[in-house]
Amino acid sequence: MENQGIFSQIADNLAQFLQYTGFANATWGHLLMIVIGLVFIYLAIKKDWEPLLLVPIGFGIIIGNIPLFPGLSVGVYEEGSVLNILYQGVQQGWYPPLIFLGIGAMTDFSALISNPKLLLIGAAAQLGIFGAYAIALLLGFSAAEAGAIGIIGGADGPTAIFLSSRLAPDLMGAIAVSAYSYMALVPVIQPPVMRLFTTNKERLIRMKPPRAVSQTEKKLFPIIGFLMTAFIVPSGLPLLGMLFFGNLLKESGVTRRLAETARGPLIDVITILIGLTVGCSTQADKFLQVKSVYIFALGALSFVIATAGGVLFVKFINIFLKEGNKINPLIGNAGVSAVPDSARVSNLIGLEYDKTNYLLMHAMGPNVAGVIGSAVAAGILLGFLS
Amino acid sequence: MLAGIQLNGQSQADMCINEYLVLNTDDFEDDFGHKSGWIELFNSSYGTVNIGGCYLTNDPDNLTKYIIPKGDVLTKIKPRQHILFWADDQPYRGTFHINFTLEESDEIIFVASDGRTIIDRIKIRKDLDTNVSFGRIEDGIGTRDGSEGWDILKRTSPSTNNFGVDRESASTIFKRIDPYGGIMAFTAMSVVFLALILLYLVFKQIGKYNVRKNMERAEKTHGKQAAKAEEETSAEIFAAIAAAMHIYTQDDESHDIENTILTIARVTKNYSPWSSKIYTLREKPCKK
Repeated sequence: MENQGIFSQIADNLAQFLQYTGFANATWGHLLMIVIGLVFIYLAIKKDWEPLLLVPIGFGIIIGNIPLFPGLSVGVYEEGSVLNILYQGVQQGWYPPLIFLGIGAMTDFSALISNPKLLLIGAAAQLGIFGAYAIALLLGFSAAEAGAIGIIGGADGPTAIFLSSRLAPDLMGAIAVSAYSYMALVPVIQPPVMRLFTTNKERLIRMKPPRAVSQTEKKLFPIIGFLMTAFIVPSGLPLLGMLFFGNLLKESGVTRRLAETARGPLIDVITILIGLTVGCSTQADKFLQVKSVYIFALGALSFVIATAGGVLFVKFINIFLKEGNKINPLIGNAGVSAVPDSARVSNLIGLEYDKTNYLLMHAMGPNVAGVIGSAVAAGILLGFLS
Repeated sequence: MLAGIQLNGQSQADMCINEYLVLNTDDFEDDFGHKSGWIELFNSSYGTVNIGGCYLTNDPDNLTKYIIPKGDVLTKIKPRQHILFWADDQPYRGTFHINFTLEESDEIIFVASDGRTIIDRIKIRKDLDTNVSFGRIEDGIGTRDGSEGWDILKRTSPSTNNFGVDRESASTIFKRIDPYGGIMAFTAMSVVFLALILLYLVFKQIGKYNVRKNMERAEKTHGKQAAKAEEETSAEIFAAIAAAMHIYTQDDESHDIENTILTIARVTKNYSPWSSKIYTLREKPCKK
């Protein structure tokens, strides 16, 4: 009789244990998301597509989609859990400015300083953001949601996370994954658009080599750049402030240790945390919605519009430039701020048509201008819609 | 510590008297089921303000008449939030029940925790009807004497905003006036361009100035011809020279790939006096 009691107790406990396992709580959504996570990891390892982003995000997706029994305080959305605490940096928006600090400390603005008109390409490519914004409005998203979705077109993961955490926190997971995925897909998305809008003659344009930039100019750039952009768009302060501060650490010449920390260990730590927690936030029940599909479609579209905007703008300003000063429109795509991938794409496509025409140095100008441009655009959206 | 006190003072200065009701017969009632006059304070800042230790009074000669108890979590007022005090002269009923009534008062004064600094004060209107409140039309906006920005409110609004129902969000308003996103696209792109055009203009001028200065310097040192040649030299050439020098001067760089090669960067023997023979020997006695 007593033995029977013990066995039934053990059986009850086992049954309860089974209820806690992932097998009992799994849904098709969880499994689908795990497969997506595995695809991300595969693309990162096998195809070498943005591995620093896709490996943490991919593994994060798997972690976030292990089927959980609610109330165990382990899920990313359960208050006080370890993952939830790490996720605060995304939710409260303080990881992205730290990433910008590192980006600033590793970016050389020389190309831009030597040929400042390239800054304007970085502005033109922001058209992707507002094109996607308009289409998102037509699809029935609220203005705040449309703004958060549109920023994917800036091709800037940290900015997308920062803005969506402010304007549409519910869509943040989908927006962040979409932004990072398309950043990884820059070499796939941009070339057809670049070829479509350029003629063979234009692709062969050789640009004037950049002049040497003095150290004083490099030191002045972050200070003047920050003051001017932040006074125009104060809502972009966290991103712009950190970007230019990081660059001043690099260029000042007296804070080498700080610059090395910002562009080395600090950005690495934050990249790990942001990637992993963004991945975790794609929990199937929150992520698998029709809205997410729209977000992915709009994200792709915004990259196309941004690329076209940059390329067509170069063609437009070429009308006013003298022969010898003309800009190769193949660097127009680099106006999106996926640094340095989009500049690399410009270079590769340029080399396809002329084996000796290296565009990388020139493309880095609009590329870093794109970082500034997307931070300014995010500030405007935040100012208008929050 | 001094900075802390000052900061605290600055935060408390963001509080203001936002609305009051003198005669209450048919308006909101407190937790005890009693109806009495009330004072609403508003935190106009975007940070939490702790009003524990501050004072409320109706007597300019006695600024510390009612001390708001310290240590009550409810005295930490969240950003842009309101807090209500019942003016029922029943302070033993809790933190938010003060020791005077508004019928007997001429003004309400909110005093900082130092007991001296008046943060806000408002004269009490004697012509107010029963169950009618007087308050700022927009939360936190208006003069202290009640002459501007204050009015008799259409409805009482204890612990909530004074302008009626919640306003539409900026996002909703924007979607209504710009359903297709055209205005947003045009405005925002203009601002992005403006910011970057300004940057372009400034750096174009700085660049020109810099090129001219370099030219002058080179002319002074090497003559006009050499300066012109230097001017025409692109940054790519400098980059190539710099890279070559870097590899040449930092020999260990050349072993990046061949990592099995042992590179001895430095072979020296530093002199240390601790075991020096000179110090271990006795000095010879010297005859003088």
